Amino acid sequence: MALDPEFKPDHGDWLCAVCNVPLEQLKVQVFYMNSAFDVVLPRCPQCGMTLIPESLANGKMAEVEALLEDK
Amino acid sequence: MLEQSRLRDYEARCTQESAPRCRLSCPLDMDVRGFLAAMAASRPAEARKLIERHLPLPGVLCAVCDHPCEDSCLRRDLGGALSISELERVCLASVSPQTRILPRPAKKQRFAVLGAGLAGLTAAFDLGRKGFPVTVFDTDRSSALLSSFPCLPADAVGREWQDMEKNRVSFQNSDEAVFYSEDAARAFLATLEQDFDAVFADLSRLPLSLEAEALDPLTLHWQGKVCAGGHLDTTPTGALYASASRQAGEGRRAGITLQRIMGGVSLDAERDDDRQSRLHVDLKNVPSVPRVLPAAEAWTPEEAAAEASRCLQCSCMQCVKECVYLQKYKEFPRLYARRLFSNATVVKGTRTTANVVMNGCAMCGQCEVICPEHFSMADLCLEVRRDAVSRDVMPDSAHAFALEDMEQACGPDSAFLLEDSSLPDGTHAPRLFFPGCQLAGSRPRQVLAMYEWLKSALPGGLSLYSTCCGIPAHWAGREAVFEEHSAELCRQWEACGRPEIIVACSSCKSTLRLALPTARIVSLWEMLDELMPEVPSFEAMPSRFTVQDPCGARHDSAWQKAVRSLASKAGAELVEPVRTREATACCGYGGLVWNAQPELADDMTGKRAQDFDGPVLTSCIMCRDRFAATLENEGESWHLFDILPQTAGLAPEKGDPGLSSRRAGRAALRREALGAEGEVGEAGGTFSLRISDDVLASLERQFILRQDALEAVQGIEATGMKFRDRETGHFLGSWRPRRVTFWVEYRADEDGGFTLLRAWCHRMVVPGAIQPSTEIVMEKRIRA
Repeated sequence: MALDPEFKPDHGDWLCAVCNVPLEQLKVQVFYMNSAFDVVLPRCPQCGMTLIPESLANGKMAEVEALLEDK
Repeated sequence: MLEQSRLRDYEARCTQESAPRCRLSCPLDMDVRGFLAAMAASRPAEARKLIERHLPLPGVLCAVCDHPCEDSCLRRDLGGALSISELERVCLASVSPQTRILPRPAKKQRFAVLGAGLAGLTAAFDLGRKGFPVTVFDTDRSSALLSSFPCLPADAVGREWQDMEKNRVSFQNSDEAVFYSEDAARAFLATLEQDFDAVFADLSRLPLSLEAEALDPLTLHWQGKVCAGGHLDTTPTGALYASASRQAGEGRRAGITLQRIMGGVSLDAERDDDRQSRLHVDLKNVPSVPRVLPAAEAWTPEEAAAEASRCLQCSCMQCVKECVYLQKYKEFPRLYARRLFSNATVVKGTRTTANVVMNGCAMCGQCEVICPEHFSMADLCLEVRRDAVSRDVMPDSAHAFALEDMEQACGPDSAFLLEDSSLPDGTHAPRLFFPGCQLAGSRPRQVLAMYEWLKSALPGGLSLYSTCCGIPAHWAGREAVFEEHSAELCRQWEACGRPEIIVACSSCKSTLRLALPTARIVSLWEMLDELMPEVPSFEAMPSRFTVQDPCGARHDSAWQKAVRSLASKAGAELVEPVRTREATACCGYGGLVWNAQPELADDMTGKRAQDFDGPVLTSCIMCRDRFAATLENEGESWHLFDILPQTAGLAPEKGDPGLSSRRAGRAALRREALGAEGEVGEAGGTFSLRISDDVLASLERQFILRQDALEAVQGIEATGMKFRDRETGHFLGSWRPRRVTFWVEYRADEDGGFTLLRAWCHRMVVPGAIQPSTEIVMEKRIRA
């Protein structure tokens, strides 16, 4: 059980409003119920603020949450 | 921890796995239903395999069987019993043998059978198939059978002998005297007992006068190493005849005993004589279909299939037919019970769909009413949910929103207890109106109007207590939360002088009975019915309604009667839907399935809505709101408040108010009822966030409230931690106020306010998307 490695924004050309730099696809470790996964997500290269696209939240992420809850 | 004995209790109540009557009336346990299904599907080879698996000496038995299965067939009075025996013969004639005889390695124990009648040969057949060498003693291999069953084709016995010989069944001639002299028979049996491991005596062949009680009826054990069976029957007029099925059945039963004698184990352990079918079959609405008879002497395959397809394929499934939840996993309560219990006892590994099964039940109690044995999925699921909570394996996501909603309804924004201000200080009103949190949320103005009217109509004053009854915690299996809340209800109830409680929600009524067992609780509808001998008609009301009883009131006939009485007095013609009163169906709100599995809850609503003929009238606001959201014409779902003169004009216009509005409604009721005292803080202040109806509907489908979105945008704007789209200038940010992260995409408007464009949420923790928190906390399963 793993998340597909890379997710990009559903739409738009996003900047980090704090650092004013474009986001880059960077590796992030996400957590849920004592499990951790490596995922490549749009992220601010300076402050690390990370974007979770709607399609990921309601798709793969929801699926994996349900699977982990059933464990 | 769930006890296995509880599982047995549950299992015993569901008869779906019990064998049908035809099979249990067959002493050889023939799978008649399966056989007929294969024949109906024109698969005679498959049908023959079943005959060969279940019946000894199939060629002989099918030719002479006296088919008790047909006597027990439930089609008997609905067109005539199935021609089972006839179809077995058609099947054997139409396809060649399907089972290859593969002799097992010979075992060293040997058995003897004295008498080649049907019982003796059945015992030999069964033992031979298990690899035991068997010797059959008689004067001739086939004359015994032919004398009992003169219609038997002579070659049928010969063919069975060929097969039996492959399985090491041999024949040996014995002295004729054994078959007419009792002394000779007894002496010969004594010799066989010495030479073999165990012996069967076929009583249709032997001149033995046994005392009836000499033979154990269950095991057919006679004495020492000898079993006996297969005697001839006598008709009322004194004629002797052979029941083929009984004789073969006794041969099979004795064969098992012989092996136990040989093994030196208990002869009767784990053996059961109970051949009564417990399977409930609903014969209502089953049309009568006459027997199919062959046009010519021989059956055509089409005629055989047509006759076989008259089989009812007996099964119960009465609860499953009514419930979309029970249908969803294609099983029935007995299997659900087994699955839930085995999942609960698995230590590690995937609990295949256990969560969805236990959390998909609306706990409405309909199955318990429909089931002839009163199996309750509600009891089962509640027990399993409590167990999951106690073992800390209940997924947070299943009921988190409903529990937060309960917390809000009981919290300072919404809950209040208002004592009647017209009474002197220190005195309490004798009654208390408890509208329930959902009615308060959906219909705050009507609740207040009804309170004012009741106060004027009832002597001695009336208190008003708006809070949650606690049923979400009960449904979620969170006993500790429920008990704590019950204690709070009890404190408040005692503080206002232990008044009689008037409830407007049937779930509140049942829950308050648990929380306040000594309180007198009466429904608002019974109270109104008593107070209002006449009810003025509401002009905008439809003239005819289908009446929907809430599942919480299924056993409350006083409730049901009062609702009908009030509506009739108001001039409405009422139609009863299929499944009404105690058998009513749930709207999908029950058991928190609306939170755990919203699509399933919607299916429940949709299924129930199909039962309505025109507008529906309910006495439960959740029924009303859910049907309003489902029915094509949302104006067709009416609550009793909408036709009663105290409240009719105050109904909101919209269909289903939705989650955010209900929360706002509860807070509004509090403000209205308490006046200035009701103000709490600066909820939202001057911050303006515009949310269109479409966006709000999308939010609520994801259990995101207007307030959640507002707080998220406010929080993000305060910290400035957000993304900006270079193309559109839209902002996007995340906010994690509790164990869920909300994402909001919005734009800044020229007037300083904001417009929400979309929102979504997830439970996973993502570093870089955790504000307002500053450090990542590895989330564990929450404790109850």
